[in-house]
Amino acid sequence: MTLEDNFKQHSKEYFFSNDEFLSKQRLDIFNKIFLKKFDNKNNESLKNLSISDFTLFDYYYQNNNVEPKVTKIENDNYKINIVNGLCKNYSDENIEIRNISSSDFKKFRDQKYEDLNDLVLNFNKIFLNSGIFFNIKKNNKLKLKIFHNTQDNFTIFQNNFFNFQEYSQVNLEDEFNLSNNTINNINYNFQAAEGSVIKHNIFQNFSNTNRLYLTTNTVCEKKSSFTQNTYNFADGFVRNFHFAKLNGEFSNASLKGCFFLKNKNVCSNKTHIIHNAENCESNQTYKGILNDNSKANYFSNTFVTENAQKTEGYQLSKGILLTDNCSFFSKPELRIFTDDVKCSHGSIIGPVDESALYYLRSRGITKNQAMKMIISSFIDEEIICLDINSAEKININLSNYLNSLA
Amino acid sequence: MIFLNINNLNIFIDGKKILDDFNLTINQGEVHAIMGPNGCGKSTLANVLAGNEDYIINSGKIIFKDEDLLDLNIEERAQKGVFLAFQYPVEIPGVNITPFLQASINSKLKNENKPELDSLSFAKLLRKKAEELGIDSEMLKRSINTGFSGGEKKRYEILQMSVLNPQFTIFDETDSGLDVDALRIVTEGINRFKNKDNSFLIITHYQKLLNYIHPDYVHVMLNGKIVQSGDISLAAEIERSGYKNFK
Repeated sequence: MTLEDNFKQHSKEYFFSNDEFLSKQRLDIFNKIFLKKFDNKNNESLKNLSISDFTLFDYYYQNNNVEPKVTKIENDNYKINIVNGLCKNYSDENIEIRNISSSDFKKFRDQKYEDLNDLVLNFNKIFLNSGIFFNIKKNNKLKLKIFHNTQDNFTIFQNNFFNFQEYSQVNLEDEFNLSNNTINNINYNFQAAEGSVIKHNIFQNFSNTNRLYLTTNTVCEKKSSFTQNTYNFADGFVRNFHFAKLNGEFSNASLKGCFFLKNKNVCSNKTHIIHNAENCESNQTYKGILNDNSKANYFSNTFVTENAQKTEGYQLSKGILLTDNCSFFSKPELRIFTDDVKCSHGSIIGPVDESALYYLRSRGITKNQAMKMIISSFIDEEIICLDINSAEKININLSNYLNSLA
Repeated sequence: MIFLNINNLNIFIDGKKILDDFNLTINQGEVHAIMGPNGCGKSTLANVLAGNEDYIINSGKIIFKDEDLLDLNIEERAQKGVFLAFQYPVEIPGVNITPFLQASINSKLKNENKPELDSLSFAKLLRKKAEELGIDSEMLKRSINTGFSGGEKKRYEILQMSVLNPQFTIFDETDSGLDVDALRIVTEGINRFKNKDNSFLIITHYQKLLNYIHPDYVHVMLNGKIVQSGDISLAAEIERSGYKNFK
């Protein structure tokens, strides 16, 4: 079905279709996209994306009888099961969780992110059909595990809002259990208030009939810290675009990711951190292993405004290409509008280090085993920071990936 | 049993002959040293013996323990008891020394149809060997050669040799870049490991190393072949007059 057919046929089903402002905004965006046509050569949001896959889809979203659930496992530990973008409303002394309302949406819809040039985010606005608001109350230390369950053929256009109140400390995990033939266009908005500390781990592993477009927008206030680690083992297409804005002094953001591709899999990554206050630090590091005919790209960008003296920004991308047919395109960027900064960027992409392979084999280790050791070591430092359960999960996924290389 | 016999080995790289009808026989328990000027093919010989796949053998044979070494790949040679102590040991960040060496020794034991070592038994063995070489146990928690000084890297090569217990060890300019104390520590490690079952091929530029190790034979290598063989007095002659008297 074409973009136009989807838009017209289902316009009454989208979230807040009675909201005049939103309806007008949707129509404006639709017209802009429709009339302008797509320019995939000069638009980073479309890198490695097949336009037809992106625009020709069958919008499908229905109420269903599978119940989303929120389970409080311990005092500070919550398991949140989202089904087709919806959750069960829940509230206690630590946290409030509810499906978004029109007022939530109005509050956040004017975010100052560069989504106008990002067609995936535009689609999210046009077809919005679900979203959840999370409010983490002051001074709480919580663990949240979110399981995204999407049923066969569903197209999810979800916009979530996380409000981390002052001095809250949250370990947040996102895991995707996608069925078959699903499209998941999920946008997270994180608001990290003063002194809050957020660790966000994202695990992506699903079959090749699914597509995930995951975007996160984070705003960090004074002395807050946001650390994100993305682990992509998915066979299906994944787009990981993650943005952070350091708005308060002494705040920091770290956007890191690892991806493991094989067959004809494609993965598109982008991180962008805006330094808008003094004495802030940022880190953008993505690492990938590519096999067979897989393709990946990574755009990273550090933007330092004139307000952001004493900035420290670091960017790195590393890739191992296991065949001659895979490719990894990396483009780090720095845009600095002040003088007292320490910023660096680097990119290293190439085949497995033959001298390391020779050294290991010369000690009796088989080529396959040596290759596995080198690949595991490549992401070792990205696993060290995880707790035992998460590290175990990554190790199992990594082991499955390495076994598939044999 | 033929322990090691290299017979008319010829190697070309980019059209240039690096090893020229090279011949050498080493018996079990013997220590041989090869000396020669830069570019004469010493390191090529070491790498060819270890199985480095960058080198193409044009002709010749290498028999090791009655088996054609050229039929075996790198890891198979190591499992059979060939060990190369590298001139420049490779840094491999993220690959921890202890599990790496455990995997190495277990691959060898598996090849010999012997029971593999569990983590506890291996840790005990490794600690014992490290203590013998004066290696701090903290070093065993680090990644392979990562952040090691030149001396530490060479000592760590000796530790690996000591743990893996190979029958034939090639030292490729192990003395390069070592100060006097490091050289002494490394050579003590080699001497401790020497016995009637193990053979060594020591590639070096300097007499000093040989003074510590006392080889049974010294060979002079020029333009890809051995031009003269003798005892340690050859090394003294090279130290005195260089290679100009050898043809």
